[in-house]
Amino acid sequence: MRLRIATSLAMVVGLVMVGAPLLAHHGTGVAYVRDKEVTLKGTVTEWFWANPHCGLLFDVTDEKGEVIHWGAELGNPHSLSEAGFSRDAFKPGDKLTITGHPAKSGAPRLELLHLVLADGRVLPERSVKGNGVHLDDPSQ
Amino acid sequence: MRNQFTFSIVAPVALVACSCAAFAQTYGTKGYSPGAWKPDELAKGLSNPTPFDPHNLSGVWSMPTKPGYFERHSLNDKPIKIAPNVPPQMGSDAYPPPMTPWGKAKFDAAKVSYGPRAVAPGEGNDPVSTCEPMGYPRDLWEANLRPFEFVQTPDRVLQHMQYHDLWRTIWTDGRQLPKNPDPGWNGYSVGRWEGDTFVVESGGYDDRTWIDHFGNPHSDQMHLVERYKRVNAESLELDMTLTDPKTYTAPWVGDKITFVRAKVAIFEEICSPSEEGHFNDIIRDPAVGKSKP
Repeated sequence: MRLRIATSLAMVVGLVMVGAPLLAHHGTGVAYVRDKEVTLKGTVTEWFWANPHCGLLFDVTDEKGEVIHWGAELGNPHSLSEAGFSRDAFKPGDKLTITGHPAKSGAPRLELLHLVLADGRVLPERSVKGNGVHLDDPSQ
Repeated sequence: MRNQFTFSIVAPVALVACSCAAFAQTYGTKGYSPGAWKPDELAKGLSNPTPFDPHNLSGVWSMPTKPGYFERHSLNDKPIKIAPNVPPQMGSDAYPPPMTPWGKAKFDAAKVSYGPRAVAPGEGNDPVSTCEPMGYPRDLWEANLRPFEFVQTPDRVLQHMQYHDLWRTIWTDGRQLPKNPDPGWNGYSVGRWEGDTFVVESGGYDDRTWIDHFGNPHSDQMHLVERYKRVNAESLELDMTLTDPKTYTAPWVGDKITFVRAKVAIFEEICSPSEEGHFNDIIRDPAVGKSKP
């Protein structure tokens, strides 16, 4: 648990900076608990790439062997493209570590902050405005 | 519960501090807010391929954010902090004139996802959540995040909004507004030049759209007067006044907006009802417990 919290801490320090503004959109501040974060290890079941919102479904197995069907809410494809996502970024069976704000209702849904792929790559790679401007690029 | 099901709720002070710092980079830092460019960076590298002509509105425009302010999403709005760590644009609200009983009833029926009345989208009735037309002027506020483009022809000015791929025709051939047009999602608009100011008058709006994402209503009597002015090569000012006696007891005078030239091209951003419907099915509705994951 300590290790996982430490991992979460490291990811948050490095990545919340680039994740939060990209993914803030319609009503997310109401549906999700913005001052809490969850980190989950899951297996992708569906990657939904569509305007104006993308979604990622993944299964998480608890210690009793029960599979929980989780889902993550993301922003629009253009912003996500600028941040390193793509239509074929994930496929069913991919192993991911996913961090986000949990749903207020307690349902297994979250607002994605960032995720780590099996090869260690982290998404989003940067923070992007809805029209593609890179917020962390001082030249823009 | 705590093994593979790694449910590490990160609440330590250090982490909260990190998150706050992260938000501060874009949410709330003076002159830099969600979806906004830093004002002192706006002039850098912006293309200006043609000489400045105050009567040429052509180009791609977007909305910067005022220093120390935040995104605006209506004729005017103000910050209302509703909860910790909630991005300011979600805690903001508009301030329309007093409503008539008809307007107030319509306002009360709107279940919004922004501002002090916000509910989760899965529990609301915002038309945009199902890709219903946003209409005008609501789509204009999207210029915070998604630019729009003016295209001038000899007899029309076309206003192309990136979000929902909305095309608004502003007739400049001298015609008058029709007396009682069939309502349209984007209304009926005519434009004329008064000196260096392009004046647009419009009416005939379908009353099913909202003025903004705070659920402020309008009727089919809504009449807009917009005054656009190119103040320099990189800036375009807009003053808008909304009159709708069926909904409001006084004209709603908007705060001046200064659009800036956007460095990006318009791209397709259609809101597909079937795709958003699937998103609602797999994410939004389960998030509020309306359906099982």
